[in-house]
Amino acid sequence: MAVKAKRLSNEEHQRRLAIRATRLREIVTTIILTPLALIWVYPFLWMVSAAMKTNNEIFRAGTNLLPNEPTFENFQRAWVQANMSQYFLNTVAIAAGSVFIVVATTSMMGYVLGRYRFPGRRIVIGIFVATVFLPKGYTIIPIFELIGNLGLDGTLFGVILAQSGGAHVIFILLFAGYFGQMPKELEEAAIVDGAGFLRVFFQILLPLAKPVMATVVIMQLIASWNDFLLPLVLTLPRPELRTLSVGMFAFRGEYFTDWSGMAAAATIAIVPIIIVFLAMQRYFIEGIAGAVKS
Amino acid sequence: MSAKRKMTRRDFLKTASMGSLGALLAAQGLPLAAQDALINIVGSGANITSDPVTFRWVDSGDQKAVFWNAFFAEYMEAHPNVTIQYDALPWNEIAQVVPLGIRNGTAHDVYQRPLSVTLAQAVNEGWVAALDDIIPDFEAWKASFPGGVFVEGITGFNGKTYSFPATANKRYGTHLLYNVAYLEEAGVDPQAGPMSADDFVATAKKVTENGAGRYFGFIMGGNQVNRWGAIVREFSRMAGAISMGVGNFDVDLSTGEIPYTNPLYLEAIDVLLRLRDDGSVFPGTLSMNAPEARARMPQGAAGMILQGPWNIPIWLRENPDFDFNIAGQPLLDPPTLVPITVGPGGSNEIHVNAAASDEAKAIAGDIFHYLGTHAGQVAWATLVGAADPAIFAEAIAAADMQPLERNALLMFNEQVRVGPSQIVRNAETAAVNLELRPVTPNLAETVQGIYTGQIDDAAAALADLAGRADAELDRAIAAAAEKGAEVSRDDYVFPNWDPYQDYGEEFYAELM
Amino acid sequence: MTTIQIPLPKPIQHTRSLRQRIADNRWVYLFMLPSLVLTLMFTLYPIFASFYYSLFQWSGFTSAPHYIGTLNFSEVIVDNQFYNAFKNSFIFMFCSVPIKLSLALVIAIVLNDRALRLAPIFRTMFFVPVVTTTAIVGIVMTFIMSPFNGPINMIMLDLGVLARPIDFFGDPKLALYSVVGVEIWKWLGIPMIYWLAALQTIPASLYEAAEVDGANWRHKFTYITVPLLKPFAVIIVLITAVGTLNVFALAMTLTGGGPYFASEVMEVYIYRTAFGAANSLTLPRIGYACAAAVYFGLSVMVMATLQLFGARWANKERAGLAAAETTAGGA
Repeated sequence: MAVKAKRLSNEEHQRRLAIRATRLREIVTTIILTPLALIWVYPFLWMVSAAMKTNNEIFRAGTNLLPNEPTFENFQRAWVQANMSQYFLNTVAIAAGSVFIVVATTSMMGYVLGRYRFPGRRIVIGIFVATVFLPKGYTIIPIFELIGNLGLDGTLFGVILAQSGGAHVIFILLFAGYFGQMPKELEEAAIVDGAGFLRVFFQILLPLAKPVMATVVIMQLIASWNDFLLPLVLTLPRPELRTLSVGMFAFRGEYFTDWSGMAAAATIAIVPIIIVFLAMQRYFIEGIAGAVKS
Repeated sequence: MSAKRKMTRRDFLKTASMGSLGALLAAQGLPLAAQDALINIVGSGANITSDPVTFRWVDSGDQKAVFWNAFFAEYMEAHPNVTIQYDALPWNEIAQVVPLGIRNGTAHDVYQRPLSVTLAQAVNEGWVAALDDIIPDFEAWKASFPGGVFVEGITGFNGKTYSFPATANKRYGTHLLYNVAYLEEAGVDPQAGPMSADDFVATAKKVTENGAGRYFGFIMGGNQVNRWGAIVREFSRMAGAISMGVGNFDVDLSTGEIPYTNPLYLEAIDVLLRLRDDGSVFPGTLSMNAPEARARMPQGAAGMILQGPWNIPIWLRENPDFDFNIAGQPLLDPPTLVPITVGPGGSNEIHVNAAASDEAKAIAGDIFHYLGTHAGQVAWATLVGAADPAIFAEAIAAADMQPLERNALLMFNEQVRVGPSQIVRNAETAAVNLELRPVTPNLAETVQGIYTGQIDDAAAALADLAGRADAELDRAIAAAAEKGAEVSRDDYVFPNWDPYQDYGEEFYAELM
Repeated sequence: MTTIQIPLPKPIQHTRSLRQRIADNRWVYLFMLPSLVLTLMFTLYPIFASFYYSLFQWSGFTSAPHYIGTLNFSEVIVDNQFYNAFKNSFIFMFCSVPIKLSLALVIAIVLNDRALRLAPIFRTMFFVPVVTTTAIVGIVMTFIMSPFNGPINMIMLDLGVLARPIDFFGDPKLALYSVVGVEIWKWLGIPMIYWLAALQTIPASLYEAAEVDGANWRHKFTYITVPLLKPFAVIIVLITAVGTLNVFALAMTLTGGGPYFASEVMEVYIYRTAFGAANSLTLPRIGYACAAAVYFGLSVMVMATLQLFGARWANKERAGLAAAETTAGGA
């Protein structure tokens, strides 16, 4: 009995050692990682702090983060001068629209490529992979004319469509991979119950692909949110439809740049995306993980 | 207001010795009571609709935006049914946005023409409406402008006027702006008379020594490559290597030759190299663009910068405590001071979109008309100042303008002349512009490469550049001729060009 | 090109005729339609339009482009600046991709540690540069890397590593590599997420078992992490490499391709020839820029295809060996 107790305490001891080692590892990693991560976000913090400085202070303070006299006047100026209050809604509408279209089209494409074998499959995959390497249209002219010919000039939908266009090969691959690794039984059971193609996809498989959707949402959101030239030229006749990134240009002149106003506008514009990322990052990683698992 | 912003006695004497136009310019404007009273919207006789209408205007903004924002606010108050959308975009955005908009019929009602598009091309393509039919009382309006503003070939064709240069272009972008305290400390007063390039280099060295690492003698936005070309070209031109811009290079229009093999160009480059070797240049100048370099001046980062008048209103507004002054560009070969030559017409050419609605055209005519009145010009001169000078000299005289800005305009009046233009002489040379390709590397890039040490043999690089530019001009002329334009290299030779005088109609007539 | 492995759960039915198989799959084709139409309109059409424009002398302004055959192509091929940009683009890719991927892998492995409770916070911090506006990044970085009181130079001067400050973006020998550095910083978050995702596919039980057997971190890395990550590596490398070619906005705001073309990558070259330098009096040359883009795109495609075939060949070799060892067919 004494022997047994000793062995137990020994095991207990081992376990405690292991826990302590894990804790130690956590502390050491955190200590090493913290300064690195701080360096990593320093330029971002610089931007936020510049948004609370005057233009003069930006140049005087150089790399000092803390503003002498924090001012929120820049945010106010950004909100009014860059018309951000109005452009914000446009940006949200365009981003939401293009995210929706992209999620819908790429998930459908990824679904059939990932789960079905059909004539022409290799050709379709070939086309998509080729578009990754083919030279991009280095001029915006064809896209612009296309939207014009569709009569979508100066509409939010025109911008949404132009942003949703494009091959989005990576998104399709992610969906294809994710759907591909799901067990066959999922839809077999449903088909036995009499579910058709559409119901299988929309009611059974698509809801399971939430993590990939999170990935696509974030990536497309970032792209749509920061797009500049396309929304600018497509909303020429209707300036009230412009987006935040276009509005930010109000601060950049040929001869004078309002750095602090721009920093404030950029801060306002970025914060929503960071919030979305924080909220969705768990799914984001799971989504990619699930897609590449196969 | 500090004493230095008032006119010094020397300035006054200098002024008094100048011609009547100078005297007019130098007269102190009557301070105007309030900005509200500055802009008064009075009908020009244009038939402005009373229905709701949106009117859109795009130009390159900056100090001009100060005027337009004030003006459009007043205008919309006077015409509550009119909504004006004013966009200020940098030049390279205008270069993309305006042609795209025109192709699609969505361009602004009034736009500034991209720099690379000639008026001939815009007219041929049917982009621009003739102002004759749009501006009320057109003949009288046009006649109120001084000679040389509306020039056949530059602002119009076949007796019609299509382009309105909103501002005068008598200015240059490489004059001296300096920190008064630093130069005083170095014992140099640029107001004492034109500085030589040698003095300039020595002063920069002195200021740098005094700065002991806290500030430097000279700063420039060397990341913005065109600055390198501008400094070397203007130094050489002021010392006598006269030229006018063609394509992305320069041609000495007195001989028709490319000027880069003139030894003055090497001398000008040498000024930059001496500054570099003395350690007088602000560190990181190569990685800084022009707006950044200019923003560092009021922070006391450097004693001198070679820049344009547009800095003056910005520094006065943003950095009221910054004690600075302006002077002419340093001279390579003092006392030789050959005026800088600019093209005929003006700057900031604005046009009415041919496809604009009649309502929009009427509003455009109304606003253009206002810009041609004394009141409009005074308002422009007051709000825009020296950055984009008003056209009427009387308006500048009457405007409530900062003395520094007035001094800048006086200086330009002395140091800038109008040069010849092959397009005025033979409108068909516009077809050559369509063929001209950029030579690469151009002057600016070559100078930058010499400065960084990527090019060892400066003379050989300049000779090579001259050869390439020469061949490109020949090629473009041949290509235009092949497509039916009656052009030759002789169109680029003006033997009677005297850079000390404005090249006006009488000189063109002599060539006939 | 078909090495992108997409599993095929449905058995192949060769017995049915092609027409029948197409009819069976009508829903499949319907599902592909929206994506294919969008791709056709906004990706393939602009690509073919670029091919088409490359045969013209055209400013993009005039209504009538002037047909000049292959003159643009013969001009591109003798342009030294084109080769300079070509070279810079590949130097950029070969510097950026390995560093970015390995650094991202290290961070991902550290962040993948379940013991690390702050991992989500760190993850976000490393991802923040990805969403930060490029124009702002350009401005901030010129401050941070400035030779005049920039913190990087200050620290290195204080430590005595440097005798005089470095002009990161102004020194022609360094400019390209400085842009690479900023690019790595800005985009590290993306491969980090990919690696994290790949790491999560490795069951924790494998590591635990290895720990019981007394394996240290190096053993675990060499014998578990590396082999299990290998299948993902090909695709992650590919995605990252292609992404690295899109550095236009960053390169423009940081150096604009200078000084004297030292950091001019292909996209900047194409932009410069398409639109000319700012304030230039020459017309844009859309046709010429398109010809350069076509050349460059084709060479990237050839190289990527070679890489893919190489990877496929290597996989086959390995698969063959494995098959020989186990005498079992892999699914």
